[in-house]
Amino acid sequence: MISCNAADFLYRLLPVKPWRGFLIRVHFDRCPHCQKQLAGAAEARTLFVQEADFRPGVALWQGIAGSLAEEDGATPEKPVLAAGSRIWRWAAAGIIVAFMVGYWAWKDNRPDGVPVAASASARFELEYVRVGGQPADAYVYQPQGSDMIIVWAGKAN
Amino acid sequence: MDQNTFVPGGPEENRAAFRTLFDAYSPAAMAMAVNILGNRADAEDACQETFIQVYRHLDHFDSRRSFKTWFTAILYRRCFDQLRRRRRSLALLRKVESDPVVLPTAAPASSPANRSLPAGLLDRLNAKERTALCLWANDGYTAGEISEVLRCTPGTARVYLFQARKKIKKLLEKDHDFLQRC
Repeated sequence: MISCNAADFLYRLLPVKPWRGFLIRVHFDRCPHCQKQLAGAAEARTLFVQEADFRPGVALWQGIAGSLAEEDGATPEKPVLAAGSRIWRWAAAGIIVAFMVGYWAWKDNRPDGVPVAASASARFELEYVRVGGQPADAYVYQPQGSDMIIVWAGKAN
Repeated sequence: MDQNTFVPGGPEENRAAFRTLFDAYSPAAMAMAVNILGNRADAEDACQETFIQVYRHLDHFDSRRSFKTWFTAILYRRCFDQLRRRRRSLALLRKVESDPVVLPTAAPASSPANRSLPAGLLDRLNAKERTALCLWANDGYTAGEISEVLRCTPGTARVYLFQARKKIKKLLEKDHDFLQRC
């Protein structure tokens, strides 16, 4: 075993906890002389308050029980947004709506070379429709924004 | 008395079982909190936060570990939070109180009235040393158990305990010499 003076010197030399822990384990914990330089458990105990000095506190329990009751009974509250967050939320929603409206307007009136489907009457003409050898009524439909044209013919009454 | 007393059930049953746990652990918890924090008000706050946290996280407790050590580790964290809060508020107070304050005339530091009482010796230890010493002296914790509470290695816990014991021994001897001279 190393001498007490050497152990003390080495302890002071390197203030690194693993090293100091090692020295304590191999020397200070085993050396009766060094143990005398340390306060014993009984000595230290005189400085501390003891468990026996306290009883379960009613007021303390009431505080804890109140918090626990709140947790058990209360429905989770929605987080309240700060005013700044609300403004940003509305601004973001406005930007999205404006973007969507703008997109639809642009889609219906594309300025580039792609022509918007002309109306059915401009592109399609029926001179005469007969159904079963008899003159018939004809209806022409064109769904909005589509090139498709639907012709409906029915016997005239 | 252990965590098995707490049987999962409805809120009412849970709270009744938790009350039993509280009755068993609160005196020891208060003693440790007062020993670390040095005053009852802060200790009560720390204990309240600890019991609430234990109630919330009891289902996360690993039954292979010691319940007392787990509980003490939570209590130590809450005490440490209290110390941090206190340090912050003290720093704030120092900033606010920039005007010179006339203090009442104090007796010379060497007078017996101004000598720190034995409990004041604990102020010379930092929170980790004080906790290690308290757990060792009051509850018979080993270095391994102290390391679980302080969340450090057993070697480091041994160093805290060693330093605390050494400082206290020196201070007690100094106090004893002083009282004999008086």
